[in-house]
Parts: sequence; C-alpha cells; structure tokens
Amino acid sequence: MDVDKTIKDFKKKLHNSVDVADRTLDKNGVKIGFIYLKSITDNAIFSENIFEPVASFQGEISFEMLKSFVRPNDVSEIEQSEVLKNILKGGVVIFISNSEKILAIDILKYNTRAPSEPPTSPVIMGPREGFTEDYKTNITLLRRRFHDENLVLESAFVGKQTKTQIIVAYLHGVADKKVIAELKKRLKNIEIDGIVDSYYLLSLITSRPNSFLKQVGQSEKPDIVAAKMLEGRVAIIVDNSPIVLTVPFVFLEDLQNSNDYYTNFTYSTLIRFVRVAAIILAVLGPGTYIALQLFHYNILPFKYLITIADATQQVPFTPFIELLFISLLFQVLYEVSLRLPSYLGLATSVVGALILGDTGVKAGLISPPAVIVVAIAKIALYTIPEQASQITLLQYIFMIIGASLGLLGLIGGMIYFVAYANTVENFGAPYLAPLSPFILSDNKDGVFKVPLDKMKKMPKSFKNIPTERIDEKRLLKNEEKSNESD
Amino acid sequence: MRVIDRNLNAWQTGILIFILLFANKIIVLPSLLFEGAGLESIFMLVFVFMFEIGLIWLFYILKKRYPNKSFASVLQKHFGEGVKVLFFAAFCIFFLSKAVLLYNVTYIFFRNLIYKDTSNFLILFCFLPIINHLAISGLRALGRTAQMFFPVIAGILIFCLVVGIFGIDSRPLLFSNSFESVVLTGLRHIAPFGDMIFLFAFMDKIEVKKGQWKVIFSFAGAATILIVAVNLIFMLSYTYTSFMHPYAIFEIMSFVKEFGGLGRIDIISMVLIIVFAYFHLAIYLKTFMLSFHQIFPKIDNIYSILTFDFVFVVIVTFFIVNLETAVVYGEQILPWIAIFSFLILPVFVFVALLSGRRKKKTKFSLEAAE
Repeated sequence: MDVDKTIKDFKKKLHNSVDVADRTLDKNGVKIGFIYLKSITDNAIFSENIFEPVASFQGEISFEMLKSFVRPNDVSEIEQSEVLKNILKGGVVIFISNSEKILAIDILKYNTRAPSEPPTSPVIMGPREGFTEDYKTNITLLRRRFHDENLVLESAFVGKQTKTQIIVAYLHGVADKKVIAELKKRLKNIEIDGIVDSYYLLSLITSRPNSFLKQVGQSEKPDIVAAKMLEGRVAIIVDNSPIVLTVPFVFLEDLQNSNDYYTNFTYSTLIRFVRVAAIILAVLGPGTYIALQLFHYNILPFKYLITIADATQQVPFTPFIELLFISLLFQVLYEVSLRLPSYLGLATSVVGALILGDTGVKAGLISPPAVIVVAIAKIALYTIPEQASQITLLQYIFMIIGASLGLLGLIGGMIYFVAYANTVENFGAPYLAPLSPFILSDNKDGVFKVPLDKMKKMPKSFKNIPTERIDEKRLLKNEEKSNESD
Repeated sequence: MRVIDRNLNAWQTGILIFILLFANKIIVLPSLLFEGAGLESIFMLVFVFMFEIGLIWLFYILKKRYPNKSFASVLQKHFGEGVKVLFFAAFCIFFLSKAVLLYNVTYIFFRNLIYKDTSNFLILFCFLPIINHLAISGLRALGRTAQMFFPVIAGILIFCLVVGIFGIDSRPLLFSNSFESVVLTGLRHIAPFGDMIFLFAFMDKIEVKKGQWKVIFSFAGAATILIVAVNLIFMLSYTYTSFMHPYAIFEIMSFVKEFGGLGRIDIISMVLIIVFAYFHLAIYLKTFMLSFHQIFPKIDNIYSILTFDFVFVVIVTFFIVNLETAVVYGEQILPWIAIFSFLILPVFVFVALLSGRRKKKTKFSLEAAE
C-alpha cells in the first residue's frame, strides 16, 4: 500500500479541513501512516498509547505486530470503504505499507457536561441525574439501571449529512416486537439531511405528523425512561440531545410526574386531580369568562354579576379583546424571559407584569377580573409543562369559540377535541387511554395513584408483552413469614 | 371520504344506549306527561320503557342468532333487497325526524335560558360541525368520546337528583286520572321513545364478548331508573305549576334553598343538557349515515352527511321555530313514526328469527332423512 498517497487521498476527501491530522513513520523501510480528526479524538491516548509504542519499536514491523502494540481495546480491522466513516466517528485509522489491511482504533473524545439535574423536571425527593448530549453517557445512565442481559441497545444512523447516531433501547421480553419493528421501519424510512436534536425525529416517527397533539414521550431523566421501559415502552436516544424519546405514548403520561413516585400515593392522587383541574382551568378558563360576559351574564349569580359589571364598566374593549390583549402580553413576556439573560428577564417581568398590568387596570384599559382570569389560566398551564404548547393553543381556540358561540360552543369544542384525540393512535396506543377506552387496571397509575404493590400487571393501554410485574405468590409468602415472626 | 367504523365494545354500546335513552325525556316530556295524566303518567312511562328495553332484548336475540352479520344482510337474506332498502329509508326518516324534534326542544331551551333570544343559526353553527365531526371520526371515536364524558354525565345526573329531592314540597294524589287519559297521554307523547332501533343499524359494528350483555342491560336499566326518578321528582316538585316549567332537569334544581350557598347550581344541569344534545344528535346522524350507506352503497359517506345537514337545516329553519310547533310536531306527527320502531321493525325481526329457525330445523330433518 502506498501510505503517503492513501493519506493524501483521504485528506482530499475530507477537503483538507483544519482538524484533519496525519502522521507517518518510517520503520526500516516500512511506512506507517496515521490519520484522524484531532477535534474529536483523545490526543493524549493517541500519543501515549498508539503513536509512541510504534515509534519506539526497533525492527521491522508487520500488521499483526501493529495490532498488538496499540493499547486501546476498541481496535478493529476495516475495509477501505469504511475508512472515512471511522475517521468521522472519532477513530484513528492506521495504514501500513507492507500490508493491504487497515486498522481502526476508536479514541473518540469530546467535551461533554456531566449528568446534572435537568431544569425541566426537578424533584424534591428522588434521583437528580439527567441525560446529557452524549449518547454514550446516556447509555451508561440506562445500563446502570438495568444489570440484566435483556436490555437491548440497537444502533441506527439517520441524516444524510449528520449521520446522527440513534440508539433504540428496550427490554427484551417486555417490549412488544411489533412496536419495535414498526419503530425500526419508521426510522429506516426517514430521508432527511440532518437530525440536530431528538425533536427532529418526533414528527418523522409519528403516525399523524400534522396533528397538534404530542404523540411521542420526551424525558430528560433516566429514572423516568427506565420506568417507561419496564412498562414495555421503547426508548430512542439521539446523539447530541439530552431528551430521550419514548414510544408508545399516551396523554396521561404527562399527567404523571417523577415526584409522584417518590411521595405518598394519597398525596400523588390529590396532586393528579389538581393537575386535571388545572388543565381544565387553563384550557377553558378564559373562554368561559368571555362566554359568560358576552352571552350568559343572566346565568351568573347576582352578586358576581354586580362585581364583574362594576369592574368592567369603564373598560372600552370587549371581553374578548381584553383577554386576548392580556394573553398576548403574557406570551410576549414569556418569550422575552426565555431569551434574555436571567437578570434582564427578571426586569422585563417586573415591568410587564407589575407596571403594565397595574397601570393598565388603573387607566381603565383592562379590568381586574380579566387580569385574574388570564393569570390563573397561565399559571395553571404550567402544572403540566410538557403539554404547555398544546394547552396554549387550545386556550386561544377556546377564547375564540367562547367569544363567538358561547357556552354551547365551548362544550361542543370540548367534545370536538376529545373526539379528535380519540382518533389518534400511535404505535397502537389510543391517545386518551386509559380514560377512553376506559381501562380500570391502568387507572391505578392514571388519574389515581395506588401503592406500588397494587400495580401488579403491565399496562394494557399499549402493546407490550403481558407479564406479572410483582410476583404475587412470593409477596404472599413474605407476608406469611413476617406474620409468623410477629 | 373514508370513514373507519371500527367496532364498539359492550361498555361503549352500553354508554350510547344510556345516553340515547335520555333523549327528550328529561326536558319537556315530564311537564307534558304530568299535564295530561298526572302522577299516573309515571306508570305509562315505565310501560313504554319496557318496550324500549324490549327492543334491546330483540337486538340481543338477533345478534346471538347472527353474530357477525349486519342487519342489512339479515333483511336481504329473509325479505330481499327491496325490503332492505325500504327499511333503511325508514331508518333515515325516523332518525332525521327525531333529530329535528330534539334540536327544536333544545333550541328553545337554549334560546330562553342560556342565550337570550339568539338566532337559530348560532345554535346550528354550534351543533352541525361537532356532530358532523363525530360522525366522520368513526364509531369507535364516537363511543370512546361518549365513554370519556360518561363520568361527567353520570355525576351531574346523580347530583341533580340528590339536589332535586330537596325541592319536593307536595304530594300529588294518585289515581285521580282515568286509565284512558293515561294511555292516550302516553301514546300522544310516545315520540321521544323508540330510539333503541339504532342498535340494529350498528349491528355488525357492535362486539359483545361472552357474559358482557349484562353490561349493556345494566346501562339500559340504570338509564330507565334515572329517567323515571327525574320525572317523579319533577312531578312531586311542581304539582300545581308544571305547565309553567317545561325544562324538567333544569327546573328541579332552580329553587332548591338548601344548596343556595353554592350559588346558581342549575347551571350544572344546563351543562348536562348541552352534552346530551350533542351526543343525541351525533348518534342520530351516525345512524342516518349508516342507513344512507345501505340505500346508496356506492355514494361517498360525505354525501350522506351533507344530505342530513341540508334537510335538517331546511326543516328547522323554515318549519319549526317555536315551542308550540315543536309540541304539535312531537304530539301529532311523530307518534305515527313510532309505529316503525315499536311495531313494524319488531315484527320483521321476529319473522327473520322464526324463518331462520325453521330453515335450521328443515336442514336438520333433511340431514336425519339422509
């Protein structure tokens, strides 16, 4: 093999990028060439464990000897066609002039942050680890939770330009084979130039990509993903994304929070009811307020009617315009606070919420009940932050319905959206299960939360391999033993 | 437009039966019944309900005999294509008429109590898109949506009944009306009944597993008890002024002092009436759609919905716009249509069942002879 020419060719194929590095050695007439990308490889390992042993060797060197010199474990013999792929994935490729064989050693290394508590789902009690952007770290976080041979991790690459590493993780014997096969098929069918984040995959693997409903689970916490995998779901780890996707997904998953599993079940049930009430309040609150003011003031109790009439009589706008204005103001403030540094975000919040709101009320442009209604609805929205985008959209739709059709329209709208959600099924899971279709056993961890020992069976809302989660006989034996000892 | 009508399970069927049994029977009917036949009208109500549940029983027998067949194929097999088409045309007329009656009664309720003198078109604009969507979404989505709203419906109903009991302040006399007036009142107001024939149109799309029929009958029984209870509480609450209170479920909550601290609790019953109205009309439209498809199998489903919408809008806009017309329509025209559900259809089903049995017997005897 002409080492110099081969290295030159590959450098050309890599467009002589600044981070392409190459080294050559001449050992008694045998040329050895190294090529790698210094931006994504561990230079110390390269120097100390690969280059140094070869350079210090005295005598004629062969390919087999070369293999034994290098110390990293991840060494493989590759074909000419695989050279570029290996270089781009953080490997060092070694050519030797007295052999046609090529050696590749994986010494990938780049700066990653350590697993930390994700800002999207903090817990009071419970694990504080979160996934990171490095898929290998994410795999480690999962492996640490499953010391079992049944954890299967399958690899795929998506994106013509990015060739992003995707890991499909599931528990063999728990996840349904049809779901796994369907997911693999959908991943295989993706024709896209690049996957920058796991969110890119969302619309590409859902059965109703044009729907506004969220159809794939997202989590930043390994404990949550592990719990979902135990129920038979399949996790999708995407390199460069700290968000791991899970399928199949049902709406009620977002109603559950990791805190629910680390606190008393009665309290968890209460909190879940609060979340349901908050969703209803967030979606229907502003619309109902508008409808009552515009169409049905006569059904309001007299005292409330007087209070509202008194507060709104000076306001020059209709209730709809008033609420729309306050909601949009909130949305603007929200967007600003997301994008600005925290110190500036705080300042804008003070200016927006306190000064603008207060002055608006005092100037008679907006009424205090309208501010209260929007404030409650917007706060309620974030009891389920994972669904915030959908609920915000529904909030605006119901405001329009309330303003144009009144109470009848609002209830009709609810029926419409529930019927619509009932038509959505992704990976065989009805979107609103276990509420409709009603599955009693799954409601043990639905709107209600029962103690862990009562959740003996696998969920029926989606496809999985039905197995006993808790061995009832062993449980009874343990109980008997403890009774005897008493 | 492709409509995927996947099967309904026993629970969803039971809930649809539960909902449809309430159609028109808890708004105007109690007042009209009491006006015509006093407290004895309850007996007539129970009597007609026996027929209604009898229709479910008949469906049960037919479904057991022909588990995977549609009602259309049963009719075609025993009476031929012509009878099948006539039957499904009658289904279309029946459910369109019922939709008109139901819409009219609820429209008047909404106009008087929720929307002050609003236009008919606003109410139509609320109803039509939603019921069209429910019909297009398919039977399973309709069943699941009803299942989702069922806890709300049941909760409000029970709340209304509990609250209503506190409003009872009189004891009307029993047996003060003649048997004849009771029967005649019952017959005059039979129009809201007979809806259970919708099951025959859904026949091949209902999947009842072994032992689940009791679920269906339980829902039907529970609905019957609740409707009779609403009627009874209303009659005991408005003994002397029932004619002034046409909206029974709403009225029994209106003047209950014990719950004054909660404010206007009658709003809750309004929500119930609205939810019921949407589902009633959606089931009527879905039945119309399936029946229309049996008459014109090659025509796209969207045309059956458009036909329903067009005829419905024309009738409710030009012919029926007030309570008096609705009462005349319900008392004088619609009772004749009830003959179809309570007489013609059962007779044909019986004949189909008997001829099926006879053919089976003949087959057995032939086998024995061989």
